[in-house]
Amino acid sequence: MAIIEVNHITKEYRLGQLQSLRHSLQRAAARLRGQPLLERPLFKALDDVDFKVEAGEVLGIIGHNGAGKSTLLKMLAQISVPTRGSVKIHGKVAPLIEVGAGLIGDLTGRENVFLNGAILGIPKAEIRRKFDEIVAFAEMEEFIDTPIKRYSSGMSVRLGFAIATSVASDILIVDEVLAVGDLAFQRKCFDRMEDLIKRQGKTVLLVSHNIRQVERLCSRVILLNKGRIISNGPASAVCTQFYEASDARISTSKSTDLELANSNEWATGEILLRGIEILDTNSNVINKLRHEQTVRIQLRYEVTKKIHTPIFGIGVHTTDFIYLATEHSINQLTLDYLDPGQHVLTFDIPSFPFMPGVYSLRAGVAEGNAARTIFYAENLLHLQVVSDNAEDRTWNEGLVALSGSWSYDTPLLHLTGKTHANS
Amino acid sequence: MIRAAKTLFAYRELMGVLAWKNITLRYKQAYMGIAWAVIKPLTLMLIFTLVKSFVGIDSGAIPYPLLTFVALIPWIFFQEATSEGVGSVVGNANLIRKIYFPREIFPLTTVVTKLVELGINMIILAGLMVYYGFMPAATILWVPLLILYVVLASLSIALMGAALNVYYRDITSALPMLLSLMMYASPVIYPLMLVKEKLLVNQAAGVWSDFLYTLYILNPMAGIIDAFQQTILRGAPPELSTLLPGMILVAALLPISYMIFKRAEVYFADVV
Repeated sequence: MAIIEVNHITKEYRLGQLQSLRHSLQRAAARLRGQPLLERPLFKALDDVDFKVEAGEVLGIIGHNGAGKSTLLKMLAQISVPTRGSVKIHGKVAPLIEVGAGLIGDLTGRENVFLNGAILGIPKAEIRRKFDEIVAFAEMEEFIDTPIKRYSSGMSVRLGFAIATSVASDILIVDEVLAVGDLAFQRKCFDRMEDLIKRQGKTVLLVSHNIRQVERLCSRVILLNKGRIISNGPASAVCTQFYEASDARISTSKSTDLELANSNEWATGEILLRGIEILDTNSNVINKLRHEQTVRIQLRYEVTKKIHTPIFGIGVHTTDFIYLATEHSINQLTLDYLDPGQHVLTFDIPSFPFMPGVYSLRAGVAEGNAARTIFYAENLLHLQVVSDNAEDRTWNEGLVALSGSWSYDTPLLHLTGKTHANS
Repeated sequence: MIRAAKTLFAYRELMGVLAWKNITLRYKQAYMGIAWAVIKPLTLMLIFTLVKSFVGIDSGAIPYPLLTFVALIPWIFFQEATSEGVGSVVGNANLIRKIYFPREIFPLTTVVTKLVELGINMIILAGLMVYYGFMPAATILWVPLLILYVVLASLSIALMGAALNVYYRDITSALPMLLSLMMYASPVIYPLMLVKEKLLVNQAAGVWSDFLYTLYILNPMAGIIDAFQQTILRGAPPELSTLLPGMILVAALLPISYMIFKRAEVYFADVV
C-alpha cells in the first residue's frame, strides 16, 4: 500500500500584494453593487501533480528554482493545503524543512533541544533519553548551556539537524538540509541520512539541487518544471534528463556573440577580443559538440598598438570556474610583433577530451619575454558537449575521459593454486 | 469541540514547553525579571489612588487601593492575554511556515501563560490584604471559576483576532486603542456599584437607563471584575444577574471565534 498518495494536486497563489483591509472592504462594496471585480492573476505553483510513494522508497524531487519543489513539500508536511486535489499520508511525518527553524536565540542549547523536540513532536521522555546522543552528534558538549544567539550559524544548524533527525517517524521530508555546516559535518549528515534510509528503511522525500546526491540516495526521482511533473522514473534516467536540460539552458543563455559584461574581462586596451567561435571540420560555427570531436577554436583580435612577441593562451573551465586545461602558444607560435589591425588566431583540438556537460572558454594574451598580461577574459563562450547515447552520463561519471583500453588475461600459473582451493 | 479538546490533549506537552518558553523568554534578559509582572498593577493602583483623591470615588467600606487592585488583576490579565494572543500567530510566522501542528496552540498557550502573572498578582494581593487587615471569606473559592471565565473571555477575542491579524495587520494597531477604551467601560477605576446607582436607581439617562445598564454589563469584564470584588472583598457570592449577559455573549462568541480561526488556519502558511 502506498504510504503517500498525492492525487492531482494543484496549488494556486494570487500574484501581487496581499490587499489591505481597505481594499477588501472596497471589493466587498463593489460586489454588493454588482460591479465587475478586478481579480489579481493566479499563479499555479503546482499543476495537477499526481504520484504515489511506497513505504521504504526514497524519492528525490528535482527541478529548477521555482519549479514547485518546496511548495510540494509544504503540501506533504501539511503546512499548506492544495487548492484542488488531495494528499493522503499514512504515517508520521518528520519535516526537515529548513532545520533549526524553531531555534530561539535567547534560550540555551539545552533548552532549545527540548523546545525544538516538542515542536517536532518528540515526547519529552524520548528527548531526555536521546539528549546525549543529540548533543554528541552536533558536537556541542562544550556549548550546550550557552544561549544559541552566541553560536555560529554552522553550530545552530548542526544542532537543528541533530534534533530533527532524531524524530521517530515513518516519513522524512528533507529540503536541502544536507548542504549545511562544513565539509566534515556535511559528510556526517550524509552518513546519517544513508543510515536512516538504508538500515532503518524509512520512506524519504528529498529535495536538493545537488543532483549527484539525489542520484546516489534516491531510488526514484521526480523532475518538476513550472509546477508540472516532467518525468518520474529511475534516478539515473531522470537525473540525466535534468542534466541535459540544464546544460541546454546554460548554453542557450549565452549566444556565440561576445557578451563581455559577464566574462570577467581584464585588458590594457592594446589588444581587444572581437569574436570567439568554435568550428567543426566543415568550418561551420557550432556550440554543441560531441565528446572526442575534432574542433577548431577561432579568436578574432583587434590590435590597437604594436605588440612585440605576443604569447596567446586559451583554456577550458567548468561553469563553476574549475580550470580544466590551459594551452600556451609559447613554443608553437613565434611572432616578433603584431601590427595594429584585425588578426585571427586558431587553435585546433584533434579530439575534444571532456565528458558531456557544459564548459566555458577563457583566453589571454601576454607581451614580451616578461610575459606582461595585456588581455585576459574567462567565461567567454559556453559550449555544450552532448553524447549520442543517454547512458553515457550515468556510465562515465567525471569530466575527462582517460581514453585507456582494457584487456583481460588469465595468468594460469598464478591462479591454479586458488582455483584448486575453491573447487 | 470534542475533537478540538482531543487534539489539545495530544499536544499538551508542546503547549507546556511553549508556555515555559514564553515565560523564560519574557524575563530572561531582564534584570528585574518577574518583578515586572508586579510593577504594572501596583503602579496603576497607585495612579488610580492618586486620581481618586482628586475626583473622589466612593469605594464604600473597602479601602480604594485594595478595590482597584482586585479589579486590576482580571483586567490586566484580559488586556495582556488578548493583545498577546492576537499577535501570537504572526509572531510565530517562522514556525508556521515550516512545521505543522494545530495553530490554535499559539493563542491558547499565550493566554494560558498569562495565568502565571495572574498568580503572582494574587500573592501580592494577599500581602495587601494582610496590610489592610482584610480577612477573605469562604466565597474566595469562587475565584478559580472566575479565572476560567476570564480565560474563555480572552480566548473568544484572541482566537478571532489572531486569525484576522494574519490577513489584516490593522488589528495590531486597533486593538490597544480598543482595549484602553474598554478599560474605561469596565469597573476598574470605579466600582460597578456607582454605575448601578446612577443608571438603575437614579435613572440618570431617563428611559434609556435600563438599556444602557444592560449594554454595560454585556461587557464580560464588567461582570468578572465585580465578581472578583464580591467574592474576595465583600465576602458575597457573585451576582448572577450581573454576570449573565456577558456569559451569554462569551458563550456565543467563543465557538464563532474558534470557527473563524479554524477556517483561516489552513491558509496561514500561505499568507503570513
